[in-house]
This record gives sequence, C-alpha cells and structure tokens, in this order.
Amino acid sequence: MTIRILKPGLQTTIQSRPRSGLRHLGVPSSGAADPLSMALANRLVGNASLESALEATLTGVTLAFDAKSTIAITGATARCTLNGTAVEQHATIAVGPGDVVAVGAAENGVRSYVAFAGGLLADDVLGSPSTYLTAGFGGHEGRALEKGDELQLADTAANAPSMETPADYRPPMLGAWTVRAGASCETMNLKEPQRLFDQKFTIASRSDRMGIMLEGETFAIESDRQMPSAPLFPGHIQCPHDGSLYVMSVDSGTTGGYPRVAKIARMDLHLLGQLRPGNSLTLIERSDDDAARELQEKHAYWQAWLPDIACVI
Amino acid sequence: MRSAGDDLLSVSVADPQTAQRMAADLRESGGWTEAVAGVDSVVVRFDIANILRADAENRLSNAAANISAPAERQQVVVEIPVVYGGESGPDFAFVCEKLGLSGMELIEIHCGEYTVDMLGFTPGFAYIGGLDDRLVIDRLEHPRQHIPAGSVGIAGGRTGLYSLPGPGGWPLIGRTDRLLFDAASDEPFTLVAGATVIFTAVDDS
Repeated sequence: MTIRILKPGLQTTIQSRPRSGLRHLGVPSSGAADPLSMALANRLVGNASLESALEATLTGVTLAFDAKSTIAITGATARCTLNGTAVEQHATIAVGPGDVVAVGAAENGVRSYVAFAGGLLADDVLGSPSTYLTAGFGGHEGRALEKGDELQLADTAANAPSMETPADYRPPMLGAWTVRAGASCETMNLKEPQRLFDQKFTIASRSDRMGIMLEGETFAIESDRQMPSAPLFPGHIQCPHDGSLYVMSVDSGTTGGYPRVAKIARMDLHLLGQLRPGNSLTLIERSDDDAARELQEKHAYWQAWLPDIACVI
Repeated sequence: MRSAGDDLLSVSVADPQTAQRMAADLRESGGWTEAVAGVDSVVVRFDIANILRADAENRLSNAAANISAPAERQQVVVEIPVVYGGESGPDFAFVCEKLGLSGMELIEIHCGEYTVDMLGFTPGFAYIGGLDDRLVIDRLEHPRQHIPAGSVGIAGGRTGLYSLPGPGGWPLIGRTDRLLFDAASDEPFTLVAGATVIFTAVDDS
C-alpha cells in the first residue's frame, strides 16, 4: 500500500503526538497544531487519537492510492473530492487502487487533517513521529511533503467500518474566534492588562506553526523590557519591544527573552491551529482555577466520542 | 512562586546553575509534564485535569527548599573553533564600534573558557554565561529572518550558539563549523548545561 503525493499544497506534514519532557534541551512539542481535529479524523478510521496523520495548510493536498484503505478528512472546511466527485468531511471515505483524493483549499480555518486506517509510517525521533520543520526531523525525512513522495501505512491490515462524526462533535470553523486565557504575568507588569480582554485582535499574516502574530492595539510594559531568558510554552503571549502581541504555538522556542503577558488556557490551545490571517480573535479572561474546572468539563463533554480526549486537549 | 499560566508554575532562583539542579530534581521526581530551567527561574507544567493547583504548589515549594547539592564538576569539555568577523560574523564590526574595541581585542576577550548555563530556544541552542563586562551588548533591534547554523552571537552578557539555521536576534560575531545538534545521532546534543566550552579563534580557511 503506497500513498503518493500528487499535489503537496503549501505545507503538508506528518503530525502525531507532541514531544514531551525535552523542553530543557530546546526541543519543542510539535504535533498537530489542531490536535482535536486530528483526533476526530483518527477516531473515524479506528485509530488512537494521536496516530500519525497528515496536516495540510490552507491550500489542501492531493493523494493517490494503489490499494484499498479507509481515510477521513477533518479540520478546516474545504471542498473534498474522490476521483472528482464531492465527498464529505467528518465521514469515512473508502478508497481503492487508482483512486485520487483531493482536499481543497481551506474555506474557513487553516489546517485540514487526513487520517488513514492503520496510521502512517513516520520517522520516530526524540519520542514522537511528529515533524519538526525548524530542525528537520520526524515525520517524512523531517520536511514538508513534496510532489512524488510516497507514504506507507504503519498497519496495512487495519480496517474501519463506515462512520461519521456526530453533529455535536464537529468543531465549527469560524471567522471570529474567542479563546480563554489568563493574564497571570510571570515576571513583567503590563500597563492596563484589562485592555487584553476587551478588544478584537486581527490574526496577522505572519502566522505559522511557531506562533501567531496579533494585529491591533499595542501594549506598554512597566519595566525596561530586558528580562533574562525564561521557559516558554505554547499559548504564552509574548510582547516584544514594539508592543505587539505574539502567541506561541506548537513549534515555538522553548525559552524566550521577551515579556510574556498572558497564556491561552490549555483547553483552548487546539484552536490556535485554525486561526487564519484576517480572522478576529477575542481573549476571554479566566482565573487559573476556572481554567482547570472548565478543562475538566470539556473533557467530560468530549469523552463520549473521544475516550482518550485527555491526551488530546 | 508565581503562576505562569493555567497549568504552569514559576519559581525564582539565584542563578542558572541552581535553576538547572532544581529542574533536574523535578524531572527526576516525576509528576510534572515539563520542568524547565531559565536563567533565573524554573517553570513546571502539570496536568491540571488530575492535579490540584494547591498540591502542585506544595510540591514545588518543597523542591525549592531542598535543591540537591552541586554534583561533581561536569567532565564534558568541548572546544568550539570560531571564525570571527567577515561573512562569518556579520555584526563583528558593529559590535567592535559599539563597544569601543579593536577586532583583535574583541577576539582576545571572547576566546577562552566558559560554562554552558542552559540549552533552550531550539534543540541544542546553548546559552553560555560568564562573558567579560566589556562585551555586554543588547539584542539586535530587528532580528534576522535567517542565519546559518553555528552562528556565534553575544547579548546580555552571554554567548549564544545557534545549533540550527533559522531566525536570530543576537549580534553575530563569528561562526563555528562544529556540529551542535544531530537528530540522527544516538547523542544528538553536543553540549549540555554545565559543560565547559573553550572558544578558540581559527582562520577562514
């Protein structure tokens, strides 16, 4: 069974579980930028939530198959086709020899996920098969897929019955997003921190798997802005010298020397993968205690469809 | 102790060496999904779906009060040959002018023995402390979008060794051809926190 890449799109990578416990060596988590959508695709084809799958960016991806398999497409809303005929997202797609599946350009959201029954074979480096482009390791030769690349399944015997995601478990892809965050500053004092939470930011075009730049008002810090390098995590919002805001994502550096003014709550980190340049973003303030309670509520909601949700979000 | 986010706690520590020892203690004791040292802080991430914040705070307080003693001096000694200036160090002339030093003086002051304070930023990037007071300079106002692997920068009293190509904000004074990170190797990291680094000047050829 070989999956051949006919059109790789803007940036298609193999992603899987995040790397863990290596940030002290400078190794970021990587993994799906929207792990919830990846988990939903894997769920349909009978895989564990964080099994290796494809993450396509903005312009989709086109694949050719040479044997029978079952796949599913989730994430950004996009027109998807099997041999030119429209097929549904959030439903299993049975493919056979000679079939071509095209994931179209993202209409809303940024990243589409394609999961394959049995998962994809990928380079397991430093504890995960997830691609980390900056250092060029993991996934398929540590890089984004190119035309002509051939991928293999990890388990060729896997089979999945026909299935679709229940309507209540299809995350809406929006143009205006709200995410929950805490203003708890680690070291620096933000002047007028409340301004973080009463305005709409716009997602800037300088946004990728490392971070997302926010356009809108700028902020002042009550200090000389020089701080010693400190540990940095996905969801941290840094405020560099020009006063703009930069949200760290899955491939962000593990330490940083700019003041961090807030952190997106763990339960909403998966939304970062779908914030599209031009979309609006509003931060909703949550205390640390409320963020923990609401995470547990979110887990309870998703558990009925994704039993291993606690390793996803 | 401070919150650094809904699932993050941060404690201040005296110096990078203490931060490294405390973070290593925390990784060994388990119960954290990450325990990372900064220059003067340690940040832990914990599973807020299963661990109460108050319990995590208590455990972190205990760890901060019982940091293990300094171990025997690390035996890792790594020589880093550096080509200073020219294309290898695009900010060399700017740094000399800013610090009021001749090129020879800058090289002479920078060469020598140092200790790695920590790794971070990207895999294998090394923060190396103990820079001479005469070499203290700020980060660049506008970070570069792309610099080569092996670039040697200085900022804020430290040398930064870029293990990978990519963006970088430190003024660059030179470059080494020593491989600092190799994902395919059994031991991907050339340097570790606490390692001794010796910078030596070499010719371009």
